[in-house]
This record gives sequence, structure tokens and C-alpha cells, in this order.
Amino acid sequence: MPKIILEHVTKRFDKFVAVDDLNMVIEDREFITLLGPSGCGKTTTLRQIAGLETPTEGRITIGDTVVFDSEKNINISPAKRDIGFLFQNYALWPHMTVYQNISFGLENLKWPKDRIRQRVSEMLAMLKIEQFEKRYPSELSGGQQQRVAIARTLAPEPKVLFMDEPLSNLDAKLRLEMRTELKRLHAETDSTFVYVTHDQLEAMTLATRICLMKDGVLQQYDPPLEVYNNPANLFVADFVGNPTMNFLPGTARVLDETHAEVTVLGRSFLFESDAPLGKPEGEDVVLGVRPEFIRLGSGGMEGKVYAALPAGMETTVQMTMGDQLVTSVEFGSVDYKANSPMRFEFHGQGLILFDKKSGKKLGRGSATQR
Amino acid sequence: MRNKKTLGNSLRAYFSKPANVITVIFLIVLLLTVVLPLSTLLIGSFKVNGNQEAIWIDQDGVEDGSWTFHHWIELLTSKEYNYASTKFWAPLGGSALMAALACVVAVLFGGVVAWFITRSDLPAKKFISTVFVFPYIMPSWSMAMFWENFFKNTEINAGMGILQSVTGICVPESMVYGLVPCAMSLGLHYAPFAYILIGGILRNMDANLEEAATVLKASRFKILYKVTLPIVLPALVSTVLLVFSSSISSFTVPFFLNKSSINSGNNFVSISVQMRNLINTGFTKGQGYVVAIVLMMFSIGILTLNNWFTGKRKSFTTVTGKSGQVSLVKLGKARKVIAVILVIIVAFFAIMPLASFAMESLLEVPGDWSSFTLRYWLSREVFEGSNKGDTIGILMSPTMWKAMGRSLLLSVLVSLVAGSFGILIGYAVARKRGSKAATLVSDLAFLPYLIPSMSFGAVYLALSYTKGFTWLDGSFILLLLVGSIKFMPFASRTGTSAMLQLSGEIEEAAIVIGVPWWKRMTRVLFPIQKSSFISGYLLPFISCMREMSLFVLLAASYTTLVTTVLQEYSRTGLNQASNAINLLIIIFVLVIQFAVNKLTGASIDKGVGG
Ligand SMILES: Nc1ncnc2c1ncn2[C@@H]1O[C@H](COP(=O)(O)OP(=O)(O)O)[C@@H](O)[C@H]1O
Ligand SMILES: [Mg+2]
Repeated sequence: MPKIILEHVTKRFDKFVAVDDLNMVIEDREFITLLGPSGCGKTTTLRQIAGLETPTEGRITIGDTVVFDSEKNINISPAKRDIGFLFQNYALWPHMTVYQNISFGLENLKWPKDRIRQRVSEMLAMLKIEQFEKRYPSELSGGQQQRVAIARTLAPEPKVLFMDEPLSNLDAKLRLEMRTELKRLHAETDSTFVYVTHDQLEAMTLATRICLMKDGVLQQYDPPLEVYNNPANLFVADFVGNPTMNFLPGTARVLDETHAEVTVLGRSFLFESDAPLGKPEGEDVVLGVRPEFIRLGSGGMEGKVYAALPAGMETTVQMTMGDQLVTSVEFGSVDYKANSPMRFEFHGQGLILFDKKSGKKLGRGSATQR
Repeated sequence: MRNKKTLGNSLRAYFSKPANVITVIFLIVLLLTVVLPLSTLLIGSFKVNGNQEAIWIDQDGVEDGSWTFHHWIELLTSKEYNYASTKFWAPLGGSALMAALACVVAVLFGGVVAWFITRSDLPAKKFISTVFVFPYIMPSWSMAMFWENFFKNTEINAGMGILQSVTGICVPESMVYGLVPCAMSLGLHYAPFAYILIGGILRNMDANLEEAATVLKASRFKILYKVTLPIVLPALVSTVLLVFSSSISSFTVPFFLNKSSINSGNNFVSISVQMRNLINTGFTKGQGYVVAIVLMMFSIGILTLNNWFTGKRKSFTTVTGKSGQVSLVKLGKARKVIAVILVIIVAFFAIMPLASFAMESLLEVPGDWSSFTLRYWLSREVFEGSNKGDTIGILMSPTMWKAMGRSLLLSVLVSLVAGSFGILIGYAVARKRGSKAATLVSDLAFLPYLIPSMSFGAVYLALSYTKGFTWLDGSFILLLLVGSIKFMPFASRTGTSAMLQLSGEIEEAAIVIGVPWWKRMTRVLFPIQKSSFISGYLLPFISCMREMSLFVLLAASYTTLVTTVLQEYSRTGLNQASNAINLLIIIFVLVIQFAVNKLTGASIDKGVGG
């Protein structure tokens, strides 16, 4: 049903490019998150799809309808795009009660009175806000306001639901709860969700696919685990994952299609890629190693413990080797003394080799010390 | 014993907070300067004021100073020669109608422009919003003067106006003098005020509120009347109420446009003009006070209504939520057309009055360019007014220049006093939000706004005749006192809204590191809201500089102000000279307002936003 297609969508504010030549396809019933640092153009993208902002160039299709085309001068109003929009600050109407806020959209659809009544009650029950029906928004807490906003957005059963950082105003606990609720909501309704966030964990846990942006340019558009395990470039690798990936600068010499000799941390490794290696722009490379791919206690490298941060379920250990800081994660709670020597090695198939100059991924695989 | 000690302690604790000290001080000051004079007025309406009045009333046992209900009964109910009807009810009804019309004009004109400026992609916004506030900066009678200059014609024996000299059209007298022209000039004068209030809310209003309705398939019209209008309604109501209460008691405009011959049917005596007549005759002073009280009750009722309306449950506080993007309504093809039309209209009402004043001051015979003369600017001929030393050319008149200097000094002092008081009151109200004393202070500080200038002047005139206060009579101090109190509402409104925007934490951050109160005010709070606070100084300055009705009763021959000089020229029929002075005042005020705006970023449209 509603598949959303963006083709060459560009938005300029005067000379400033907020969104640059964006192409993406959102399949029916997907849960997409637009992820990226503040100011990278997430909100602008979302508002363009919703029709609240007019793109400078490009074409947007929702379902079978072209809703925007700069060349053909098509621009369908948001009201006709059959969408729901959840605003970051909720945008509840202060002069309407909770009930009136929710029923407003249904009245616009000319639903009969009793059906409106029924649907509103349903929404109030679903979001557990029945007792607030007669209150005004200013008489509700942030979390309650947010539920009202969700109820208002969902009531007309939109086929596509847009959300702009809906959880950013909530406290940590409520945020976690609402996250679960949203995921359930997605399972229960059969709508497509497009969700804006700058919180990578939120994006990872909610989405079926993540669209990662930087300075208005799409960086990677993949399922969360793919983004995590197979980042397209240094920016993506750095943005996703906590603790962040280790970036070890060094040099590389390509041996054959899938092998290269990589020198990092003053040692030489044989890098074996699981796919043909990309072509580096120079000698300089960065070896990206997720903390879980560093095994402590044995191996050919030795560092000094800088700090150990046990968090119960796992322990983050930071070591120095020369002037390089290396982070690893151990399962379970272990404590290491600061400044004690520590041997470690790389393991697994998930190391990433990046070209330093372009930041692009060259290959993914294992590195064995020579 | 112990009880006393705890009382002492709690008093000391109470007064250790600057906000409490300020509240108490201003409570006392306002009781003395606002409540006391008002009660003298109230008492005056139940007393016989002077022997003339006693003779006029002509009842047994009635003498100067005795209590009586006569003023109220006579004025409100007397059927003799239709007295109550002609002296009170008809003028009141007429003024109410005039004020209502003025509201419609101001709200429609101001509101529509506000919407275009804040919500659409109209070009030339800067020009429109700058020029649009001109009529509000001008003295309130300017629009009336312009109206007359524009529409008057030889057919009604009033000299040739601009319209006639350009097109030859002679409009009927009812379009030149009387109720409708009064209402139109007041409406045009207050339209910028409506623009400032409504625009302020629209600018702060979260655009997402409208977008949320768009997404939920509400039509444009429905969004306007179900979302936008209800949200700006408090501002709309405030505007209507304030414009109504200012208009109904306006003196200068009806005074100026009440020149038609008695029998033409366009003779419109407003309630404020009536009030002045009653007070001036000497034997109906008490009845004049009755009118003043009725006008004030109107205003106070309106204020109460306003407070009730904005204080309701569906609090609109959430409106100010900041929205990231404000998407402007695309006007499409109409964009340029609307802009051109607005620019023309706005420029017409801002610049044409100035041009017309200049023209009037340069023509011996109105509308006749062959009678061009600089006499009323430069001649040294002696002018036989009541002010000694006046010359016909206003630029040559030492009296005029002295009065100008005095006005300037007065306005500067008034703005300093009113502005600083406003900031202090704002501070106390913001810190002690919701406390009874603070609310009372804030209401009392606003009360002078609702007292018609004319009656406010009258009150203080009465005070300066009272034993113990006679040293005030005609003095500069009296003018300063009256001006400061009368124009404080602007400053206290601005001060309060600016202070409310500063969270208490900003000050607390300074308290914990031991910064004394005075320094917190001058080094922390003031700089943050500098432009708002300076607007709080600017408004009283401008209002004082152009004020006439407030001072007209109070200024003595040795304390003439530029506006009273203007009135003197106008009274003696030297229209050219009064136009010239008016132009001079406007240019002066405009220049100062622009200079302050350029230097500090403060502007009057920031000021009233409360
Ligand atoms: N109406 C506007 N006018 C000018 N610049 C804008 C406007 N809206 C957004 N921008 C700019 O476009 C960029 C992207 O904004 P946005 O989409 O809101 O970012 P975010 O990813 O934080 O949601 C920002 O740098 C912002 O400053
Ligand atoms: Mg955003």
C-alpha cells in the first residue's frame, strides 16, 4: 500500500542546503528512523514528506500518488496526503479539552457523532488517559500531554505516521516506557512509521531501517544491525554504537583482491576482507574495531589499563598503548587496577578498514597479527 | 513577649527580600498617587463644590461642602428639558458607539496586517511594520487633524482639503465632522496598537498548532476560526477592551472634529467633551466628576472582564512554546498585489498626515498653492495669544522653544521615573507571582491607564487646590508627578512581561555567589532583557512628549509645554501654526524613536507586547 519514494529531494534555505539530493524508498509498514546529529536536516526531511515544507527540488510519491514534483509543479496539501504527524512539542491546542483535541480530526473527516465518541474512548483507553478526558492540556504533565498527542495523531488511523523526536521532552524512565509502547503500537496498527531522533540507541531499538544523515546528505540507509556491523563510512561507525568504535590510524598495502597488510599500533596485521577490497586513495587508513572485538588477557599487544568501568552486566575497559586509547568491553563484572599492564588482541570477522582521506569503508573482515 | 519576638522576626524575614520591600513601597506610593486622588474625585461627586454650585442646586440646607446626591440624580435622571438625556445619556451612547466603531476599525486593520506580517510570506514586511506604527507614535489628534485636512471642502465652508483640491470631490459634512470621522481617526490611531498586541501573540504562537490542524484535514477557514482565533482571542479581547476604553474617553479627537454647525445633525458632543464643559462651567463641577467616575467604572469593568477572560482554566500559557520552524503561508500570485496594496495604505496613513501638516502650515488659504508662505514658520510678527512673547512664526517664538525644551525635559524625567518604577514593579510581580499584594500593585499600577487623561488631570488639579498641596499648583513637579503616574502602566506592563520571561534561576545563580541585589538588577537582569526594558522607557517618553489632554488643565503660564502652546495657537485660529507645531512634535518623536531603536534595538512594538 503506501510506499513512500523520495527522488532527488533537495531543500535550500536561501543558499544554505538543508537537505541535499536525498533518494530513499520506504516500504509499507516499515518503521524508519531518521537519525543524525542536531541540524542535519531530519526535521526538514520529515516535514517535506508530510507536505509542511516545500522541497526546492525533487519528487515525492506516497502510495500511488505523486504528492510533490518540482518539475511538474505538483504539490498536494498535507491534508490530502493521508498522514499523521506527531510534533516534538506535541502542539496540543490549549483551548480544547483532551476530548476535543482528539475528536477534532475525526470531525474534519465528517464521522458521525457516536462513532467519534467511540473512537475517542478507544484511544483514551489504549493510551490510559481516560481520566483526563475533560482536562485542558495545561493541566497535564509532559508524559500525559504526549499521550494525548499520540491519541490525537492516531485517532483518524493514518496510513503513514510521522514523528519528530516525540520522546525528547520526557524523563529517562518514561522515555523507555514510551519506546516500548511505540514499538507495540507499530505492531498493532498497520501503519508506516517515520521517526526522527538524534538518539542512536532509540533508532537502533525501534527501527526496521535507519536513515543516517549528516549535513543534509544521506550517509547510510540500512537495517539497524547492518548499520552497526557494516557502517558505510567513518561518520556512521562513529555515530552508532556505545561505547564507540576504536579508530586506529595506520597504513595499508593491498596484497590481492581481498587481502591487505595493515600497520596499526606499531604492529603489522594481515587484513582479510569477506568481500573484494575497495580502492584506497592513499596509504593512510583507519582500522575500526568495535570494543567487543578486543579480547583481553592474551595476545600480541600490550597496553596499560587507563580505567575500568564495571556496569554490572558488562565492563568497559580503557587502555593506553603508546598515545592511543583503546576501549574494550568484557562480559560480566571485572575490575582491573589502573596502570596495570594488560595484553590484548583483535578477534572476530567484524573489523572494518576505512580509507582515511575519504572516510569510506574499504572492507570488513578479520585482522591477524603477523 | 515571645509572640512579639516572632512577629519581629517574621517582619525582618519579610523585608529581607527586596521583592517584598518593593511591593510594600509601591503599595504605599500607588495608594497615595492613584487611590487617594480618585477618592477625592468620588467624594467630590457627593459634595457641593463651591458656592456657585450651591446656588445652582438651590435646595434648603445645601451650601458649599455639604453632602448631596444631587449631582448623580440630576445628571442621570432629570427630565427637565431632557437634561439627563442631552447632557449625559446621548453623549455616553454616542461615545460608546464611536468607541465600538473605533475598535472594529483598529482590530480589523491591525489584526489583518499583523497576520500578514507574522504568518505569510509577504514581501516588504520590514517597511510595512516600521511605517505602520507611525500613526500610533503621532499625537492622538493628528489623525483627526489629517482627516479634516483631507476631507474638508468649500461646500461646507471649511476651506479646501486635499481630496477636493486633487479630485474636486466634496464629501458631505457627516464625513468630515461628527461621530463617524471621530471613530475612523481613533480606529486608525489605535490600529498599530492592535497590530502590536495581536502580532505579539501570533509571533509567539507555535506554528505547529496550525500545522497539526492542517494534517488533520481541517480546512483553512476552519483552522482560522477553530485554532488561530481562539488562541489569539485573549489578545484580541485585550485589544478591544483597551481600545474601547481609550476611545470612549478620548477628548482631543472629538474636540477637534466637533466643528460642524449645531443644526446640521452632525453635531457630536462626546462624553469627554461634555465632562469638560460640566467641570468648566463652575456650577456643575460635581456633575463633571460623576461623568469622570462613570467613565472610570466603564474602564474598571472592562479591566475586570479582561482579567476574567484571560485568567480562565484553559490557560494559554502553553502558547509560547518555541517552535523550530515557522512555515509561512504562501500567498502565491496574490503576494505582490497584497504587498503593493498594503504598502500604499500604510504609507498613506503614515506619511500623508505629515505631508498634510506641512502643506497646511505653508498655505495661507488652505488648498490654494498661490498663497504659499513661510510666515507661520519664520515670521517675527507678534502673535496676541495668552502666552507673552509669541510670534506668528513658530520657529522664531522663544515661548515655543522654551516650551519645547520643557516638554523634552519633562518627557525625559517622566520616562526615567515611569520606566524605572515599571522595572521594579515588574520584578516584584514576577518574583511574588500570585501573591495578593503583588497582584494589587500590578492592578493599581495599571489603573492610571484606564483613567481618562482629562479626568486624571482634573483630579490632580483638584488636589493642587487642596490645603497643604497648594505649592503643587502649576509647578513642574506636578506635571512630573502626573506624567509619571499616568504613563507608568506601559512601563509596568513591559517590565512585568520581561521579568516573567527570566526564570528565577538566573537570579538565584547570582544570589548563591553572593551578588547583592542592586548588582543583580543592573548587571544580570537588566542586560539580559535590555531591549525590552529600554522599550519600557521609550513608551512613556513618546506618550508624554505628545500628550495634551493630561496637561492642558495643569500647565501654568510659566510651565507651558509644547502641546499647550499648540492648543493656544489652535484656539486662536492660527491653524497653520498649530499644524506646524504638530509636524514638529511628530518629527521630533519619530527621530528619537528611530535613534533609540538603532542604538539599543528597543522599539515600541516590543514594548506593549505584554
Ligand atoms: N526555516 C528555516 N530557515 C532557514 N534555515 C532553516 C530553516 N529550517 C531549518 N533550517 C536549517 O536547516 C538545517 C536543518 O534543520 P533541521 O531539519 O531542523 O535539523 P534537525 O536534523 O535538527 O531536525 C539547520 O541547519 C537549520 O538551521
Ligand atoms: Mg529537528
